[in-house]
Amino acid sequence: MIEFSEEAKRRYDSIISHYPQKRAALIPVLALAQREFGWISDEVAEYVGALMEYPPSDVMSVATFYTLLHKKPVGKYHMEVCRNVSCWLMGAYACVDEIKSRLKIDVGDTTPDGRFSLQLTECLGSCGTAPAMQVGDRYYENLTPARIGEILEKLSHD
Amino acid sequence: MTKIHLVNIDKPGQATLETYRAGGGYKALEKAMKMEQTAIIEEVKTSGLRGRGGAGFPTGMKWGFVPRNTGKPTFLLCNADESEPGTFKDRILMERDPHLLIEGMAIACYALDCHLSYIYIRGEYEFVANTVQKALDEAYAAGILGPSVMGHDFGLDLFVHLGQGAYICGEETSLIESLEGYRGYPRIKPPFPATHGFLASPTVVNNVETLTALPWIINNGAAAHAALGTEKSKGTKLFSVSGHVSKPGVYEIVLGYPLLDFINNEAGGVPNGRKLKAVIPGGSSVPVLTAAECEGVGLDYESLLKAGSMLGSGGMIVLDDSAKMPEVLSVIADFYAHESCGQCTPCREGTGWAAKILRNLVAGKGRKADIDLLLKIADMMEGKTICPLADADVMPIRSFVTKFRSEFEALCEG
Amino acid sequence: MPKVTINGQEFDVAEGKTIIQAAQDAGIDVPHYCYHPDLPVDGNCRMCLVDVEKMPKLTPSCTTVVSEGMVVRTDNDRVKTAVRGVLEFLLINHPVDCPVCDQAGECRLQDYYMVYGLHTSEIPLSMKVRKRKVIDLGPMVVLDQERCVLCSRCIRFFDHVTKTGDMQFFGRGDHVAIGTFEDQPLENPYSGNVVDICPVGALTSRDFRFKCRVWFLHSTDSVCGGCATGCSMRIDHRDGTIFRLLPRRNVEVNRSWLCDEGRMSFHELMGGERVVRPLIKGRDGMQAPVTWEDAVRSINATLKEVSERDGSGSILGFASPSATNEALYLFKHYLSGRFGASRFEFRTDSEDKKVAIPEDDVLRYTDKHPNSMGALNLGLASEELGGIGGAIEAARSGRIKAGVVIYYKPLVPRPGDEEAEARISELVRSLEYSVVLAAHRADWQSHASVVLPVAAWSEEEGTYTNYQGRVQFAGKAIQPAGDIQPVWEVFANLLYASGDNALWLSIDDVFGKLSETVPGYKDVSLGQAKSFGALPTP
Repeated sequence: MIEFSEEAKRRYDSIISHYPQKRAALIPVLALAQREFGWISDEVAEYVGALMEYPPSDVMSVATFYTLLHKKPVGKYHMEVCRNVSCWLMGAYACVDEIKSRLKIDVGDTTPDGRFSLQLTECLGSCGTAPAMQVGDRYYENLTPARIGEILEKLSHD
Repeated sequence: MTKIHLVNIDKPGQATLETYRAGGGYKALEKAMKMEQTAIIEEVKTSGLRGRGGAGFPTGMKWGFVPRNTGKPTFLLCNADESEPGTFKDRILMERDPHLLIEGMAIACYALDCHLSYIYIRGEYEFVANTVQKALDEAYAAGILGPSVMGHDFGLDLFVHLGQGAYICGEETSLIESLEGYRGYPRIKPPFPATHGFLASPTVVNNVETLTALPWIINNGAAAHAALGTEKSKGTKLFSVSGHVSKPGVYEIVLGYPLLDFINNEAGGVPNGRKLKAVIPGGSSVPVLTAAECEGVGLDYESLLKAGSMLGSGGMIVLDDSAKMPEVLSVIADFYAHESCGQCTPCREGTGWAAKILRNLVAGKGRKADIDLLLKIADMMEGKTICPLADADVMPIRSFVTKFRSEFEALCEG
Repeated sequence: MPKVTINGQEFDVAEGKTIIQAAQDAGIDVPHYCYHPDLPVDGNCRMCLVDVEKMPKLTPSCTTVVSEGMVVRTDNDRVKTAVRGVLEFLLINHPVDCPVCDQAGECRLQDYYMVYGLHTSEIPLSMKVRKRKVIDLGPMVVLDQERCVLCSRCIRFFDHVTKTGDMQFFGRGDHVAIGTFEDQPLENPYSGNVVDICPVGALTSRDFRFKCRVWFLHSTDSVCGGCATGCSMRIDHRDGTIFRLLPRRNVEVNRSWLCDEGRMSFHELMGGERVVRPLIKGRDGMQAPVTWEDAVRSINATLKEVSERDGSGSILGFASPSATNEALYLFKHYLSGRFGASRFEFRTDSEDKKVAIPEDDVLRYTDKHPNSMGALNLGLASEELGGIGGAIEAARSGRIKAGVVIYYKPLVPRPGDEEAEARISELVRSLEYSVVLAAHRADWQSHASVVLPVAAWSEEEGTYTNYQGRVQFAGKAIQPAGDIQPVWEVFANLLYASGDNALWLSIDDVFGKLSETVPGYKDVSLGQAKSFGALPTP
């Protein structure tokens, strides 16, 4: 059985207190659960459902609507490269290719050591600093294949 | 040029309360708190301010629809779910001048008699949300927010709510649905959020840029705002410009400013000796303009409409003559297919189908008939859905295909 | 009352009705998938778009409430083009596996395609979104995600009717699919309803699928025999076999729903051995088949003898709350009219109390008989006996010598059934002379002096009175085999043979008398009891 850490439980209480109705806290609680458990597995949906008194089907239905909530495990560094117009115009795919060849993974995959995973994503709001990618809660912008190399190098030793 | 939003945007430390206050911050709130609530609404109506999220609906009128004394609370929701491709203005405002947003929201809340308000920020902007949260903490500590706003008998709680990845949640009823903890399915209107919004209570949803205009309007008066811009487009507008320009970024212009001057002067023009081919002036969902169509067009609601496009969110994407239009459209169509919520039939099926046809075309596997099929799908989707997402796909499809048809035909064998 | 013009014709429409409701009331069919009269409106399918004057866009008729002077067109080219477009969208990712789909014949994709579509598919197979097929969702439902039009009727049913949220949408865009969490089986006691309301072949009945193409079935309107609610239903049958039971919409009783137990009750009915011929116990104690004439003659003679010898008080009528009102009426009329019998009872398990106790807040009642209220109305519960216990007591002590017992096997089994049946058996064994009318064979019947083969539910016409006091007519779907007769007819024959001059030729005759003489049926005609049933004037 999974369970929130003490810290997450405090966070949970705080989140609930922000809303006049408990239901409104569901999506922030799912984000918290992902931070705790890595992704929204069936088990996590059941845990969150039990905690908030919603059927797990309901919880999973909500989770599958939102792309930032992962429905399968991702790497420690989940790299999401923007594929939308401005990033694409400015060479996003060259950066994607660089990641693919350096890590020997395809889009959607995770490296065998679980450190990196690669995904394409929609507009990140970095069009003026394109191409861009998001890794966790951090943006990397004005990317070039060379810069990708540096970032991967740094994250490999982190 | 007069600036309303970006006055202090480059000032170091502007995100801190101290610097914000030193630059005259929260004076407008102080002033507003001494005004009648309805007088502020009148002021906003007179200012001619229109919603800056994309639809351009008059803000004062939207506020005017909110019934008073319903026995239910009124909610103000700040739409910071900025996700329209090409748009990154709200991000800059929140990252660099979060107190401007807080001040604007506090003014709006006071005017609407709202005591609990949320900033719905897209989840990808978590680092931006952290900056906003810091500013909120400062504002609470300074008594700007909390049980007694600036010492007045008016309580206000303001919370950050992070989205979790869904473009559609920028549509206001979807945002409300999402904030309530559900799949972000847009709601059927009527009833409108003004009467039945968040938790079935009167609700106003305003964009970040709309709200950050309020302190200036209160400080300088509605007349000063109405004096800016054109007849139907008052004030200033932020444009996020990207793509094939030398100086991409966020710029503030007085509405009516010539589009080509903007590209050539503010944004530094098209680089590398290339020629301008086309402009998507207001985010990927508005019709594309050819370079020729951009001649003489002003950056304001009516002028862009007359030119066959829209101001939208002001997310301008500039394309030079190297751009392959079917590929650009394919990228855009993939976006709308990915972001369709799937609730109603024409959008769910139409966006996906159009995207696949375009991928096929770009891969050289298309037929000439596919080009007309794309236009037929656009007709089948347009105006038949619950929310405007399908129309947001229709506009680029129709404009790209009709204006650059030969490029599409060149990809087809027979 | 707003005046509304639909397709050039003016109608007065009740305030608050939507366009689709107004059109349907006027006999104008508006195509739709997601709209359902007993579910909250959702407006997602976009098939019901109509053209309303002064509205710039087409508007969904299911979400738009009528207003004074509204001018609506459901049939112009603009509407037809839009509907054709929506239908084409719904079909692009549909697998078009109609030849192996059990929905064929009652599929709204097929039906509307013939009216609005008839287009050639412009999407290659390779482009279609593939989803999962043949997902086992428990005892009632099989799910095919590819055939689903995502109308959310099933989801809304579980959200708003049973309030259990069993089914949900998962995913987004054209990858949205319906399902349960981890494919868990639907254990909801009402899950069969989602098969009925699914407008396409996405949710099919585990029980019915591949048994019969629907166009070979005949339908008969009936009333569920499974409990005191008396849900309106339809019996779908062919060649004397019931294939399925479906709810018949009745807003006063069951709206559009049936419980799973009621829906499956025909299996209980069709299972088990039937009594097919009248049997009389001989001197050797063994039962042997006789003709109806012999049986009738023997019963009349014996009961006459008992009443003359031991007095009319020594004859018991033990009825069944599963028998029709007409059966119960003639049963009582026969015993009291011909032999002066005054002791009647039908309760084996506090049916008179249970008939007022709901089992849940959807449909089911704790009393698992369709006509306890009818038996109560006819005065078949004796204060003196207080139920079957008192009847057994009276038989054992010799106060009661002879009894006529109507027995029906329960259609919706409950744990107490064996106990109840044991009491009936005990009663029959305690009587010196017993006549048992039974549809199904049971071991204890070997103790009876006479066993008569009678029609079961679905094999006869008649009315039942539900917990509300509503009288509802159930039609005859199946022709019973062999010598089987409806209970009312058995008593009509017994009456006739015993010299009663009244002619009881049909249930109309019986019901007519019933509504004249029995409180609880005042001013109710058989015609009213058909379709939605009728509540007597108080």
